[in-house]
Amino acid sequence: MAWNKRDDPPTNQPEPTTPMSPPRPSAAPAPTPAAAAAAPEPPRRTDRATIGPSIFIKGDLSGEEDLVIEGRVEGKVDLKQNNVTIGKNGKVRADVFGKVVIIEGEVDGNVFAREQAILRQSGGIKGNITAPRVILEDGSRFKGSIDMEPPKDNASSQPSRQDQHREREQQNRENRSEAAGVKANAG
Amino acid sequence: MSWFSSRSAGSRKEQQGRVQTLPEPDVHRSLALSALFEGIRGRKVNVLDLGSAVGSNVEFLSQYGCKLFIEDLYAALSSRTTVEEGDLAGPEFFSEFLPLPEDTRFDVILAWDLFNYLHRKELVTFSEQLRRFSHKGTLLLALISYHKTIPAQPYRFKIKDEQNLVYERRTATERPSPRLAPAEVTGLLKGFRVDRSFLLKHGIQEYLLVRD
Repeated sequence: MAWNKRDDPPTNQPEPTTPMSPPRPSAAPAPTPAAAAAAPEPPRRTDRATIGPSIFIKGDLSGEEDLVIEGRVEGKVDLKQNNVTIGKNGKVRADVFGKVVIIEGEVDGNVFAREQAILRQSGGIKGNITAPRVILEDGSRFKGSIDMEPPKDNASSQPSRQDQHREREQQNRENRSEAAGVKANAG
Repeated sequence: MSWFSSRSAGSRKEQQGRVQTLPEPDVHRSLALSALFEGIRGRKVNVLDLGSAVGSNVEFLSQYGCKLFIEDLYAALSSRTTVEEGDLAGPEFFSEFLPLPEDTRFDVILAWDLFNYLHRKELVTFSEQLRRFSHKGTLLLALISYHKTIPAQPYRFKIKDEQNLVYERRTATERPSPRLAPAEVTGLLKGFRVDRSFLLKHGIQEYLLVRD
């Protein structure tokens, strides 16, 4: 099977320095304290797919969830709204489009990140990077060009602020709905 | 993907496999760097960095909104496998080293201390390639050592700020320095003239050259 969906968050996945997409609201109503103590919390869905180390994909990849590539991909990876991670075992000969693109393996192609591109120490890119923010860790291998747009103002230099604002609003909404749920249960 | 197997820290003529203790990086004031940033402030520029990829430099240069090309010259010279010891890199090598579209023009070239690691003939050949991808007014930063010996591998330079450079050694071993004289620098780098040069206390002469 080419796609291996993970339901539980991997323990050794790198975290980008800016927050990723805001947490999704839970569809289920908030449990009462008694119910929460009795039943184990169901595993949280992370909406992240993984291409395993033994998988080789030739063609275009697109979708609407985060992706971790540990196998080989040739073609095009088009996940502009999501985060793409090329794992340490990943070998990609393709142009990669993503929101935050993290490279720990090898990429032979161009990287386009809407928010940020991160080349980890173990990673290598032979190609060009286009992103408003680029992080190259020392020891990483890079051959190509980096195109960085200048920050328009203080706010735009930190593209995560809008996400943070949305996240706060979402959190407030959740808190309000939780409070309402607790009141309803108490009543 | 053979490129990925060649580490940029590879040495050109140096023994490998030794455990070396490296000194702490030094921070030195760079007058040429200050002059260079003064020259590019406020405009989007194309920068060619001939050193290895250094994250802090990328981050620093990002504030200028430049397009940065990183082509690690020393790593490319080190990874030549078909040459005999002592063979010089020729026009073909340097042409392949910069596989850029013909209309590419750089506004800034960061050569760091790499000219100390090229034979004089290689420097002439390489400067021809640099001329191809530059225009009138292109700035070239080069650091020439006046010590008798230099590290066996180029320093890794990190831009601390507009006035200061961090010199990070990659090896404890040394090799003879070519000690290029000022007249040689201009003679070998045809098409470029010295705009400013600064002899620093730590035995490095900084050159800011301009393409005629």
